Amino acid sequence: MAAALEIADLVKRYPTGTEALKGVSLEIGAGEFFGLLGPNGAGKSTLIHCTTGLAQPTTGEIRVFGHDAVHHYAEARLAVGLAPQDLNLDWFLTLEETLDYHGGYFGMPRKERRERSAELLDAFSLTAKRHDRTRTLSGGMKRRLILARALMHRPRLLILDEPTAGVDVELRLELWHYVQRINAEGTTILLTTHYLEEAERLCDRIAFINGGQIVAQGSSAELAAKYRVASLEDAYLELVGRKELSRAHIAGEAA
Amino acid sequence: MTAAQIRFLTLVRREVTRFLKIKRQTLGAPLLETFLYISVFGAALGSRIDKLHGVDYVVFIIPGLLMMAWAINAFANNSSSILQQKFQRAIDDQLSSPASPLELLLAFSLGGFLRGLIVATITFCAAALLVDIPVEHVLVLVPSLFLVGFFFAQLGVLVGVRAEQFDDVSFYQTFLLTPLIFLGGVFYSAQLLPEPFQTLTYFDPVYYMIGLVRYGFLGYSDTSVELSLLFLTAAALALFAINFRLFARGYRLRA
Repeated sequence: MAAALEIADLVKRYPTGTEALKGVSLEIGAGEFFGLLGPNGAGKSTLIHCTTGLAQPTTGEIRVFGHDAVHHYAEARLAVGLAPQDLNLDWFLTLEETLDYHGGYFGMPRKERRERSAELLDAFSLTAKRHDRTRTLSGGMKRRLILARALMHRPRLLILDEPTAGVDVELRLELWHYVQRINAEGTTILLTTHYLEEAERLCDRIAFINGGQIVAQGSSAELAAKYRVASLEDAYLELVGRKELSRAHIAGEAA
Repeated sequence: MTAAQIRFLTLVRREVTRFLKIKRQTLGAPLLETFLYISVFGAALGSRIDKLHGVDYVVFIIPGLLMMAWAINAFANNSSSILQQKFQRAIDDQLSSPASPLELLLAFSLGGFLRGLIVATITFCAAALLVDIPVEHVLVLVPSLFLVGFFFAQLGVLVGVRAEQFDDVSFYQTFLLTPLIFLGGVFYSAQLLPEPFQTLTYFDPVYYMIGLVRYGFLGYSDTSVELSLLFLTAAALALFAINFRLFARGYRLRA
């Protein structure tokens, strides 16, 4: 079976000259829950944008379930659902229309769109708001709607770009529970997050990206072992060169 | 219906829904504006002006007003819809779908084209109740109006894609489009102008568009109908080709 996502020697150079990705290679197996961690500006979002067609790679290959995501993208994009970091909802649309149009863009027939949007609105406790315009929603509700929209066309690869940034504890737990369930049902998930406990709890494997390059990957324990530290958090602090912030270091200084 | 047909219809439906949701601004305002022109220039001032080329002044200006309504609405709709969606990043939902650059371009173009068609049709029907409007050459009139709508829809797309702030859109509308339309002879015949203004008018592309539409309605034109049709077709196709290239490259749409 083809890997869910295969990236080979991916380079992204912006017109300004900034090289956001410097030959990234990565493989995510079908059914995996994969975490991508790195500091701001490391290249996480650029990698996601290249995979989903929002950015055009300079060189390199991206395959989604074996389909070329750059040159013959239609099949690849059908397989991907993106919940972006930004709350990029159309203010003019209601919640129901947001899901309905998204389904339409992915070629879903009307009856299927209606059933699927009702199911997702219910799953994310948004049914009562379905006729409201998106701009009237709270931040947490917008976040839920964005996740529902990403799931609308039943993608086999779900990309979550910092899905829990700025959400309250209940919603975070609710989202964790939901994505764990759909992962158990077979959906491959690529998650970027700044919350290390989130990555540790949810992900089978994690990659560290820094300066546009994948610098390490493995399970949480493997990453800790690679950096010869006790936890994923300490491994991450080693990566970003801030080991003085490690809990063990601070505790030692306090003692 | 195939998945591609569902996708394209959804893309168009989104554009039409957008302007229908704010119909006071997108349909009501232009209708009122056109009627004010007809009232002020046609009924009030027109009663003191002799016939122009054998027709009442109010009848003489109606073809130009209809063309102007279609042109400005097609332009304004597309430029503001694209910019607004870029601004909110809501456009990413369409860009990360399997829709091709051609499908996206045609759908965005049709939004403004249809809005212009609705405004022009309602204006024509209402004006026909008040004034006897002849239609001398329907086979010239219909293609001419469609070409004008298509041309300005493309121009709106071009400006919307290039624009980075709302000021960019209003700049083109206020400082380029409106002067070209007004000085193209909506309210007068270029033959009445003294030199050098008469010669200068010949450099205004809108002059030839008004000539075509006026010929379709009144059977009279200052310009060569064949050459004007050829010029307008070539200009519309050239703009379409430029826009297609921009969409294929993802210019200011994809990073």
